[in-house]
Amino acid sequence: MISGLERFVAELRREGLSASPAEWLEALRAVERLGLDDRERFRRALRCTLVKRAAQLELFDRVFEGFFAAPGTSGPGSRRSARGAGGSGGRRPIAAGPAPSGTTRKPASAAEPSPARDPTPCSAASALPRAVAALLEGQPWRHGRWRRVLLGPGAPAPRATRAGPSPPAAAAPGADPLRRDLAWRLSPEGERELAALVPRIVERIRLRSGRRLRRSRRGRPYMRRVFRDSLRHGGVPCVLPFRRRRPRRSRIVLLTDVSWSVARAAGLFLSIAGELLRHSRDVRVLLFVDRAVDATREIDDWLRRQPTPRDAWDGGSRGARRPGSGIARGGVSFAKLVSSLPGLAPDAPSDYGRAFHGLARSSKRPGGRTTALVVLGDGRTNRFDPQAWAFEELASRCGAVIWLVPEPWQRWGSGDSALGAYLPHADVAVETSDLAGLARGVAELVRRL
Amino acid sequence: MTSPESIETALRSHGFVATGEVATALFLAEQLGKPLLIEGPPGVGKTELGKLWALCHDAELIRLQCYEGLDEAKALYEWSYGKQMLYAQLLREKTGDLLAGAPDLASAVRRLQGQTDEFFSREFLLPRPLLAAITATRPVVLLIDEIDRADEEFEAFLLEVLSEAQVSIPELGTFRAERPPRVILTSNDSRDLSDALRRRCLFLFIDYPDFEEELRIVESRVPGLDDTLRGQLVRFTQSVRKVSLRKRPGIAETIDWALALVAVGAEGLSAAALKQTLGALLKNRDDVERVLSDLPRHR
Repeated sequence: MISGLERFVAELRREGLSASPAEWLEALRAVERLGLDDRERFRRALRCTLVKRAAQLELFDRVFEGFFAAPGTSGPGSRRSARGAGGSGGRRPIAAGPAPSGTTRKPASAAEPSPARDPTPCSAASALPRAVAALLEGQPWRHGRWRRVLLGPGAPAPRATRAGPSPPAAAAPGADPLRRDLAWRLSPEGERELAALVPRIVERIRLRSGRRLRRSRRGRPYMRRVFRDSLRHGGVPCVLPFRRRRPRRSRIVLLTDVSWSVARAAGLFLSIAGELLRHSRDVRVLLFVDRAVDATREIDDWLRRQPTPRDAWDGGSRGARRPGSGIARGGVSFAKLVSSLPGLAPDAPSDYGRAFHGLARSSKRPGGRTTALVVLGDGRTNRFDPQAWAFEELASRCGAVIWLVPEPWQRWGSGDSALGAYLPHADVAVETSDLAGLARGVAELVRRL
Repeated sequence: MTSPESIETALRSHGFVATGEVATALFLAEQLGKPLLIEGPPGVGKTELGKLWALCHDAELIRLQCYEGLDEAKALYEWSYGKQMLYAQLLREKTGDLLAGAPDLASAVRRLQGQTDEFFSREFLLPRPLLAAITATRPVVLLIDEIDRADEEFEAFLLEVLSEAQVSIPELGTFRAERPPRVILTSNDSRDLSDALRRRCLFLFIDYPDFEEELRIVESRVPGLDDTLRGQLVRFTQSVRKVSLRKRPGIAETIDWALALVAVGAEGLSAAALKQTLGALLKNRDDVERVLSDLPRHR
């Protein structure tokens, strides 16, 4: 029994549910108390001792069903609901050993191929337009932490949203560059034109945040102390104390998709956010396509490069290539920088689930009350398993989660997009299909610091 | 309580319909001597379970309601400042006798040394819930309610209490529980609790019940309700929970609503009865309007 339980705990750890030796021993003691003759009771004993978060329940049940397949069942096919207050369950003996290896999901390590594609689209996708409509009306959506959505000026009025989404209003290539859809085909010259607007945007955000900080220096009125402070002199004159904000050092994690469809928005976003944040804050930059790679130093070095005339030449001379070729610093384009990062495959299909899973499992996963996690991505995970639980776990460890979606909101959750599964775990979703949207997203981040 | 089934039966005798999952978690908490962390949406019976557990064991329930800003002084102990002052005043003459003849301040202080400890003895200690639970001589259930509302510092402070069943008071030393209290922590998951705290507890997640389960709960808590109406009521509640609402109704609200329907003598879920009593189920005006505007869908 001990070795079987040990293998089960190892399997759980491989799947991302970390159980310490103390918890493993506790599970052993629990099984001793409850016995092995009832499978359901055995499952409850392990679940109660090894699972520490609601988000882990589903994973535990899946691994349990795969590992301790009951006679006459085929493992995961008979998996139970993840609800904690499950039914009483029948008395069934436990299978002698683990199920065949094929019944459990393979671990998504870097050396192994990605998990099989999930043929069913995200079930929550169809609910996204309703969610956006509800949030525009100031209603929270379901029981997730999603509370706000920031759309561009073309967003419909809250009531109008109920009638059904209107077709996306794409900006023509010659229109206001700030409103130009970043998903349009754009030459490196066009990208260069957009990149040239970045300093102006940075200055504008800096100016606004400076005003806000000056306003908040005195703090908010502290009503609870009015009586105490005024008692000393009988309330004449009445003292109105102010509560100053406690200084705290925020940590920021920029988790950015740099696959083909998002690379241009990613380059511009990192240019804006990096300029604003690199001097004063504790910032980490993680880039991903199908696995997350820490690129903090490389992005910092890239941003420190001064723009040179060679940037124009580098972007324009080789014709239309990867998105991000025209966003260059000191002769190095963003596309080139991304291609040179070890461990990152920019041409691979996006796999958000695998990237989130890997990050949630790693020892360097972001977390902390003062940590703001900013994700930039369209959630298009090529019908791979979205593994929303992994993102939920990442999000639950962070004080604030902002998701920037570089697509018009009408396309959110359509096709292979798994945004419907991810966005409930973010506090704010921002439409960043153009440069103005990116500026809005970065301003939201700065506002929360 | 020798098995999860006996716990299930004991809880049922007090009107609480416990699932096997709940009974097993309580049984293991009892057997392993570990605190039990219960998470779940508001109104599913987390606090009630703590109260009934005390009732089942004929134990005293000591409840610590957590909130932002809760600190050691409010949770563990305080010195009774007023009592200390009163005693100091009453004993002024005695103090005068003690200090009589002291040639200088230093010798007076030396004479006082050892006497001042009397003012920091158990006589002047005001035990708050945690200390009361640790020093209790009879069986106790310590219910730390809504721990997610407390600050992270308080969470860290709780670690010693949870793992060692002891607390330290600088003036008096360490108090260790002779009979460790049964501890239940509840959380609405409004913020993520630390891994350190979670590791010290067994974990139980209570979600909204399914139709059959909720039917049994209403039957047990509101026996006077007609069977048909009970079915309609539970179906309605289950349907309403699927709607995007500001505050989804928990089991407590379902029971309140059932009681309200009995009180107004409703024979069915008519529009009039709904308008009269829906306030017991939904706690927000927008939610009530939203549900009333789409009544046929829920009935």
